[in-house]
Amino acid sequence: MGILKLENVGYRYKDAPKDTYVFKNINYEFEEGKMYAIKGKSGSGKTTLLSLITGLEKCTEGKILYNEKELRKMNLDRYRNTDIGIVFQSYNLLPSLTALENIELSMNISKVKIKNKKQKALELMKRVGLSEEHSKRKILKLSGGEQQRIAIARSLSYNPKIIIADEPTGNLDKDTENEILKIFKYLSKQEKKCIIIVTHSQNVCNEVDIIYDLENI
Amino acid sequence: MYILKNSVISIIRNKGRNILIGIIILVIACASTVTLAIRNTANRLVKNYQESHDIIATISFERKQLSEKFKGGEEAKKENIEAFNNIEALKIEDIKNYGDSKYLKGYYYIYTTSLNSDTLTKATDSYEYEVEDKQTTTSSSSKTTGGNSGRGRGPGPEGERHTITNNNTTTIITRTKETFQSSRNLTGDFEINGYSSYDAMTNFVNGTCKVIQGEMITDFNAYECVINSELATLNEISIGDKITLKSSSDVNKTYEFTVTGIYTDNSNTDDSQNMYSQSANKIITGSGVIDALVEQDSTLVTNITPSFIINSEEAIEKFTEEIKQKGLNEYYTINTNLEELQNATKSIENVKTFATMFLSITLIISSIVLFIVNVINIRERKYEIGVFRTIGVSKFKLTMQFILELLFITIIMLIMGTAVGSFLAKPIGNTLLQNEIEATQVEENKISDNFGKGPMNMQFETNVKIQSINTIDAVVDFIVIIQLFAIGVLLTLMSSLASMISIQRFTPLTILKERT
Repeated sequence: MGILKLENVGYRYKDAPKDTYVFKNINYEFEEGKMYAIKGKSGSGKTTLLSLITGLEKCTEGKILYNEKELRKMNLDRYRNTDIGIVFQSYNLLPSLTALENIELSMNISKVKIKNKKQKALELMKRVGLSEEHSKRKILKLSGGEQQRIAIARSLSYNPKIIIADEPTGNLDKDTENEILKIFKYLSKQEKKCIIIVTHSQNVCNEVDIIYDLENI
Repeated sequence: MYILKNSVISIIRNKGRNILIGIIILVIACASTVTLAIRNTANRLVKNYQESHDIIATISFERKQLSEKFKGGEEAKKENIEAFNNIEALKIEDIKNYGDSKYLKGYYYIYTTSLNSDTLTKATDSYEYEVEDKQTTTSSSSKTTGGNSGRGRGPGPEGERHTITNNNTTTIITRTKETFQSSRNLTGDFEINGYSSYDAMTNFVNGTCKVIQGEMITDFNAYECVINSELATLNEISIGDKITLKSSSDVNKTYEFTVTGIYTDNSNTDDSQNMYSQSANKIITGSGVIDALVEQDSTLVTNITPSFIINSEEAIEKFTEEIKQKGLNEYYTINTNLEELQNATKSIENVKTFATMFLSITLIISSIVLFIVNVINIRERKYEIGVFRTIGVSKFKLTMQFILELLFITIIMLIMGTAVGSFLAKPIGNTLLQNEIEATQVEENKISDNFGKGPMNMQFETNVKIQSINTIDAVVDFIVIIQLFAIGVLLTLMSSLASMISIQRFTPLTILKERT
C-alpha cells in the first residue's frame, strides 16, 4: 500500500503558454521501506516534482495523496515539519546556528513529542557518522559532506515516514556520495522509511529499488 | 515556545545588526521619554491651572459708547451727567437673572453702598473744601453773582451764612461744604462692601487682604462686619465691639454692626501720597445686609459688581449673547480674564507644542529609519526565511519571531531610554521653559520700548493679577511609561511591516533557488 501517490499530476508555470507543461500525467506511487530515484536531465522538472511532493508548490493538474489524504487539503506546514523530511542539494542549514542547534530547531518546530532533544540530536549525528565534537561547530565550519549529513540528521529528527532528497550527493565526492547512499539505504531497509532521491546520477540510480524517469513521460 | 527561543538566539547571534537597531531605538526612547514627560507635565500643569483659575466674566460700563454722545462746553456738563444718570444701573434682580444660566458654574457679586457714622472717625488725610455763595442785593434791584449752580442728587448740608451791608448794598455770603458729583458716587464716609459669598472676596482669596484678628463674617445676612486695621486702631475697636452707622441721606436711620474681624490690606504698600490705605474706610459685610439696608432706605446709593464663573472658553460668547437677550443695557459690556489666563500659560503651552512637534518628528524619522534598517535586515535574512518555511514554520509563526526579536530589543532599549530620559526630562524641560519665558519677556520689553520706557518699566495689567507658570518639573510617571511602551509596540509593528510583507510574499522555493 503506497504512502504517497501521484495521480495524473501535471504542472505548468502561471505565465507559460497554454498547453505548455513542465510535466503532465504523472502517476507514481511510493511505499515505506523502499528507496526511489526520480531521474531526469537538467530542466526535466525533477526539482519541481520534489516541490510538489513536499508541498512547497501546488500541482496545476491531478492530485497528490499522502496516506490517502489529498495534500492540497492538508496543513502543509505541519506536513513538512512532521510527515516528510527534506534534504536539499545545498543543505539549507542555518549558518548562524551550530550543527546541534539546527537539528534541535527541527525537533522544536515539529509537533512530534520528543524527550531529551539534545540527546536525540547527538544520536542522530552519530548515526550519520558525525561525532559530538561536530555538534558544537557552526555550519560554515563543516565540510560539504558533513553539512549534508547534518541535513539528513535534521530530516530524521522528528522521525518522518518519508525522506525526500534533492541531488543529495551532487556536491560531494565519490566516497562521500557512497557513505550518504549507505545511510539512505540503512534508513529504508532498517527503519522502513520511504526514501525518494531526485537525481541525475547513475550511481545513485544503481542503489535504489525503483527508478522513475521523468524523460519517459 | 520555540519561536521565543529562536528570537533570543537570533538576537544573540546577530549582535552587530541588533546593536545598530538598539542604538536607534535607544535614541528614540530617550527623546520620547523627555518629550512625553515634558508634554504630560505641561498638560497637567495647564489643566490644574485652568481648574484652579476660573474664567470670570464681569459686566463693566462701556464708557466709549457714552462718550460718543457727549457734548462739549460748560453748558453741556449738566446734560452729560444727566445722560449718564439716565442709564439704568445694574440691579440685584438683573444679576440673579443673568446668573441663572447653563453656561455658568456660578456667580457672585459685591454689593456696595456707603454710610456715615457719628461715633466713628473716618480715616482720611484730606480736607473738605468750602464753596462760597455770594448774593448781592441793592435797594432798587436784586441779583445774584457767583454761586454754585451744579448740585448732585440729595440736598447739601446747611451752610455758614454772613451778611455784609454796605451803603445800599447787602451782600449775603453762604459757605457750604458740598461737592458736585454724579448720582453713582457713594456719598457716605464709609464704604460698605456686601459680598454674596466667600468666592466674591477675591482680595482675600489671592492674599492681598488678610484677617489678622477674629474671623471673616459667617452669616451673609447678619449685621456683622470686618473692618480695616487702620480704622480699628483709629477708633480703638476690638473684636466683638459694636459700631453704629447711619444713612448718609436720612440721619435718623442707624444700623448697628458687630465687628467679627479686623483685616489688613497689603495692596499699594508703596503709596506714599496717602496717609491711610484706600481700603481704610471699607467695611466688609454680607450682601444680604445691603439688601436689608436698601429695603429700609431706598435713597441709598448702591453699586453692584458681579462676577460670573463661565463653564468653558466656548461658553463665553453664548453667555454674552444670552444676557444681551435678557436685557443687558447697550452701555454695558462683558469682559473676561481669558486673555490673562492664556497669557499665564502661554510659555508652557509653547513648550508643550514644541515637545509634541519634536516627538512627532522624532517618531516619523525614526520609524522610517527603522523600517529601512528592517528592509535591509530582511534582505539579509531572506535565506533564513526560506529555510524556516521549508522545514515547516508557518508564515504566522515566522512573522511572530521577527516581531518578537524587534520587540525584545525595543523593550530593553525602552527601559534604558526611560532611565536616561527621566534624568534628562527635568533639566531640559526647565531650560526650554526658561528660554520661552525669556523670549516672551524680550517681546514685552520691546513693547515697553515702544512706549518710550526702558526695559521692564511697563507693568502690564495682565501680568499683575494672574501668576504665570515658571517651572516645569517634568516627571516620568506611570502614564509616560505606558505611552512609551505603546510607542514602542507601534514602532515595532510599523518597522516589522517590512518583514511581515516579505514573509507573506516570498515563496521558499524561489528564495532557495536564488541562493543556489
